[in-house]
Amino acid sequence: MNDSFPHDLPNEEPGEVGLVRWQDYVCRDAFTFECGSTIPGFTLRYETYGRLNAARDNAILITHALSGDHHCAGVHSIRDGKPGWWNNLIGPGKAVDTNQYFVICSNCLGGCQGSTGPSSKNPQTGKSYGLDFPVITIRDMVNAQRLLLEKELGIASLYAIIGGSMGGMQVLQWMIDYPDYVQRVIALATTGRQSAQAIAFNEVGRSAIMQDPGWQGGAYGAGAGPNVGLSVARMMAHITYLSDKGLEEKFGRSRKEGSGGERFGAEFEVESYLHYQGQSFINRFDANTYLYFTKALDRFDLYGEGGRMEDSFANVKSRVLVTGFTSDWLYPPEQNRAIVHALLRCGKPATYAQLDMSLGHDSFLVHAPELYRLISGFLAN
Amino acid sequence: MKPVHNSKRETDLQIIGEWIEPGSRVLDLGCGRGVLLENLRQKRQVNGIGVDTDVNKVESCVKRGVPVYQGDAETLLKTFERAHFDWVVLSRTVQELENPATVIEEALRVGKRLAVGFANHGYWRNRLCTLLSGSPARNEIHPAPWPMQRPHNPVSIAEFEEFCKEKGLRIIKHKYLGGDWKSELSFRPSLRAAYALYALGSEG
Repeated sequence: MNDSFPHDLPNEEPGEVGLVRWQDYVCRDAFTFECGSTIPGFTLRYETYGRLNAARDNAILITHALSGDHHCAGVHSIRDGKPGWWNNLIGPGKAVDTNQYFVICSNCLGGCQGSTGPSSKNPQTGKSYGLDFPVITIRDMVNAQRLLLEKELGIASLYAIIGGSMGGMQVLQWMIDYPDYVQRVIALATTGRQSAQAIAFNEVGRSAIMQDPGWQGGAYGAGAGPNVGLSVARMMAHITYLSDKGLEEKFGRSRKEGSGGERFGAEFEVESYLHYQGQSFINRFDANTYLYFTKALDRFDLYGEGGRMEDSFANVKSRVLVTGFTSDWLYPPEQNRAIVHALLRCGKPATYAQLDMSLGHDSFLVHAPELYRLISGFLAN
Repeated sequence: MKPVHNSKRETDLQIIGEWIEPGSRVLDLGCGRGVLLENLRQKRQVNGIGVDTDVNKVESCVKRGVPVYQGDAETLLKTFERAHFDWVVLSRTVQELENPATVIEEALRVGKRLAVGFANHGYWRNRLCTLLSGSPARNEIHPAPWPMQRPHNPVSIAEFEEFCKEKGLRIIKHKYLGGDWKSELSFRPSLRAAYALYALGSEG
């Protein structure tokens, strides 16, 4: 556990988690996926912040979005200029207060940031799984996290789970599948099932990857891969995480310095920003994981065969907070509202809040005191 | 303007709180900061949901541990089936609704009972205020001068009861309160009552 040493460092900024180290949970038992396929075992990479109390009842699980990872707070070295992706939310005295709660975040099963996924070695063949990796669902991600919490960390019940986007889907799946394990859930900028538009965008991303000759039917080796396709997929997806207004406020039509030499080169700031997003993505993300995860998003459907989310929510026992963001057009407010409508129709005590922020889908990740107040207020009860 | 006196804030809390049976399913439209529901949850163990459009009020509800839905009452009401709630509450809300008739009828579809509490615009002091100043009455419900005032549509006992009659809404019980919002009265309430409360049910 890494919970003891950050607090012992001198000159630590107050209110920050500080230095953290990741851990690996190695499950040596076979894991069966929702699709029926099995792998002989798996690794989940995770981080924890704060301390588990003696009653072991102050644990909060953070679930990450499509391109996120286990590193959601603190820094990995003193020179590390970039803290974890939800550092603004998590830390001593912050909305998710690590003086009070024991916070856990794991990289999803099927991922590529230290957890077992398509790029991991298949012990049966000695080569990467590639497309031999079983089809993965949101439920599989949740089941793997459950093993980490129970078998590795000895947590008998969760105080809360918090996640946005794909993380929000995991939150909902958790409360459905393990109603007695989860006391509170907070789902942000999420959906009970994706719209045709969201599926359409994912398919464009997958096509960019699969039509890149470097993809090689998923059998590319380590260090190689469909870099062009993955980068284009990321560029396009990144637009869906923002908004017209957000892009306008951030870039407008401002020009890149020293541009104008090439006929079709990046001329506007927004273009070079997207290129940067695409390029940095290929250094940290695996193309096959991208395919597997976007399919998991597309197939996620709490409406089920009956077309009613109420059927999924009948056994929910957690207290629920769902928050939509006005400018989110990927998982728009109405889809977040629909989750609460269904819970209320089942007689469950659910709360819906909506924040008017301009940054689109990614609003849940940015500095927002109103979101902090909602989350800390909800956690306090 | 003087702040609303605390005992007046508690009028609905006490009277509607007595009407609602323990363990009821309650929907509070225009729940504000969730004080009524918090009280009902603690004292009557109700299963309650509040509705408000203001994110700051929603935040206060969340802080109190009161489940709340941020959004439009009309849209939300449509999602429920008939008689889903034992009670729907319109506590000092009815004068701010865009379509009061629709909301009241919908509330009586999704709720078996509807509790309504409002300041009577026909109260003699309000009439006098309008007569003397030539502008809409200012009182505990409408304390601010017009530039700061939220849009509102003041209602009187006479108008409200006429509306119920027209729509065939059954008044199961009512309370008319004097200027202190406490002492009950029955003689000429339309003129003498500052505050009125009703429990309504659909006819039949």
